[in-house]
Amino acid sequence: MAHVVLKDLVKTYGSFKAVNNVSLTVNDGEFVALVGPSGCGKTTTLNLVAGLIPITSGDIVIGDRVVNDLDPKDRDIAMVFQNYALYPQKSVYKNLAFPLQMRRLPKEEIDRKVREAARVLDMTELLERKPRELSGGQQQRVALGRALVRDPSVFLMDEPLSNLDAKLRVQMRSEIKRFHQDLKATIIYVTHDQLEAVTMADRMAVMNGGYLQQYDSPAQVFAHPVNMFVASFVGSPAMSLVPLEASTANGKSVLTSAEGWSLELSPHNAQKVAKAKTRKIVLGARHSTIKLHKSAVPGSIPAKAYTVEPTGDVTFVQAFLSGALVNISMPPTIAVAPDEQIWLEFDQERMHLFDGETEMALKAH
Amino acid sequence: MTILTGKAEAHRRLQSDKSGMLRKIWSHRADYAYVLPAIVVMLIVIAYPVYYTIELSFFNTPPGLQLRDKIFTGLDNYTAILKSPVFWKVTSNTLIWTLASTLIAFVLGFACALALHRDFAGRGILRAILIIPWVISAVAASYIWKWIYHSDFGIIGAVLVGLGLADRPPNFIDSVSTVLPSLIVVNIWREFPFAMIMMMAGLQTVPDQLLRAAKVDGANAWQRFCHVTFPHLRNVSTVTILLLAVANFNSFIIPWIMTGGGPSNASHIWITHIYELAFGRQRWGVASAYSVLLFMIVMSLGYFYVRALSGNERKDGSV
Repeated sequence: MAHVVLKDLVKTYGSFKAVNNVSLTVNDGEFVALVGPSGCGKTTTLNLVAGLIPITSGDIVIGDRVVNDLDPKDRDIAMVFQNYALYPQKSVYKNLAFPLQMRRLPKEEIDRKVREAARVLDMTELLERKPRELSGGQQQRVALGRALVRDPSVFLMDEPLSNLDAKLRVQMRSEIKRFHQDLKATIIYVTHDQLEAVTMADRMAVMNGGYLQQYDSPAQVFAHPVNMFVASFVGSPAMSLVPLEASTANGKSVLTSAEGWSLELSPHNAQKVAKAKTRKIVLGARHSTIKLHKSAVPGSIPAKAYTVEPTGDVTFVQAFLSGALVNISMPPTIAVAPDEQIWLEFDQERMHLFDGETEMALKAH
Repeated sequence: MTILTGKAEAHRRLQSDKSGMLRKIWSHRADYAYVLPAIVVMLIVIAYPVYYTIELSFFNTPPGLQLRDKIFTGLDNYTAILKSPVFWKVTSNTLIWTLASTLIAFVLGFACALALHRDFAGRGILRAILIIPWVISAVAASYIWKWIYHSDFGIIGAVLVGLGLADRPPNFIDSVSTVLPSLIVVNIWREFPFAMIMMMAGLQTVPDQLLRAAKVDGANAWQRFCHVTFPHLRNVSTVTILLLAVANFNSFIIPWIMTGGGPSNASHIWITHIYELAFGRQRWGVASAYSVLLFMIVMSLGYFYVRALSGNERKDGSV
């Protein structure tokens, strides 16, 4: 296994910058997820690492080698594709053997490695089948196997679970996680599903518009998003973002809404707002940090329930605040009806504040 | 509730199947009415001529005799054909013509398709130029090539002489040994764009991801072609080759216009021979027997064509 370093990686198509000065380090044996919405540059980044498209500028280091100009086959990588990319005319055995044949390994060694990979992935009985005779999950396992037999330094995975149905996706998710734990493999995993990234990766690189937004552990990204994009992208349901105006009332720092209500800030949050260069502040709160009351309590804000979605364990209530839709979760024992008057109380300790102009998170110091 | 025994149950099911079928037909009666004119036309223009040809093939029709006075001779026409040296000459010509034209046109077309699959400046213009032979009329092409091959005024002869490669212009289509290859060249020239278009369409369906996977797996360009591209195009190749083979087996215009089968049958293929027998020498019976044999051969080619097509569907439409 090896570490991977991307240094100021740039990929342009004409005047369009698909990947914009991306720098990050993937440690040896680390599972890193590149995550972001469609067109954010995550798959392009992966293809650059694989060598399937040439880089415009920057450096890619795998192990101790700069691989910028090496062919994919010389980079010591293996790749797993979204559509499995199995050779349809070849049996599972031949699919697994193909990368080894291309490296002109002796027949006995190929056979040994193929059977070993099949044993590890529990698909020995599938070896003689053709890909079209396999289920989606089995095909993806063969694709993993084909990467595994190579014994590469780095595994590159391009949305490997996107073509599977929801149930199978959850199952394969744990299989890939197990695969990583057993092999101590270095894995770069591209996904648009933030849940996959959060559940599987050691660190996640959140990308948007070709830029790397934040690169940290899922827990850190979840708890301390650097900007409004990351805040709204990671976590489900998404963090609610309410645009407000900072002002002072009776010597106290408050956030006021165009709707007329205002929220008094704790000293810690007031310090953050004081540092902002603008009066436009966006309040961010995850559904679990907002408390719903059926009558007014000190510090709470009046709102009207818009929709109520019971999911069994929790019930999600949505309400409009300052024109933004806010998600609140609550125990199913509390009954709320749509259009009912409710009061919302924000947890000041776990509340996020963003600069309304730069969209960056506000810090106390 | 009635309990039916096994036998009674089977009988009842049979009855209901029968009436179900009739009911089905009845419920589609308007559809049958709509296709009826087409069926009648088909019977008149296809079924009747086929029947009449088969019938004629058992009769002798000496020139000068009215067709209605034809003489029944049983299988004589067939045995005469099989014994005739001309039959074997024409058959070997047809085989050489069909196989050579089909395979070379296919390989050439495939090569052009691969070349044009890459993006380069002027690709669109080149593609348009390469399609020209296929879109111009076969009659025009035949006359053009007749002039190109002409021993006195032909450009090929002039170039060969000019370069000092020949003392005098070769007699391409007047010599027994060169006439068939010369016609095959014209046929390939006319047909390869068809193979090219088919294979270009096929190439668009080769999944990019498979090629990229093969690249990562360490396959070079040739190995990617052998292991990904060509296997993926197997079905479209089969269909293209079969279509070309059927067209070549039935070709008429190029050999008929350029040489009329000559010199001394050296460029006669089945169709031109049948045409000459029937309309040149009024030997309807023998020509019909030839036609029946040809019909059977083409039908068996058609069977393989249909099988290749349905094979495509079985493999989830992966052409």
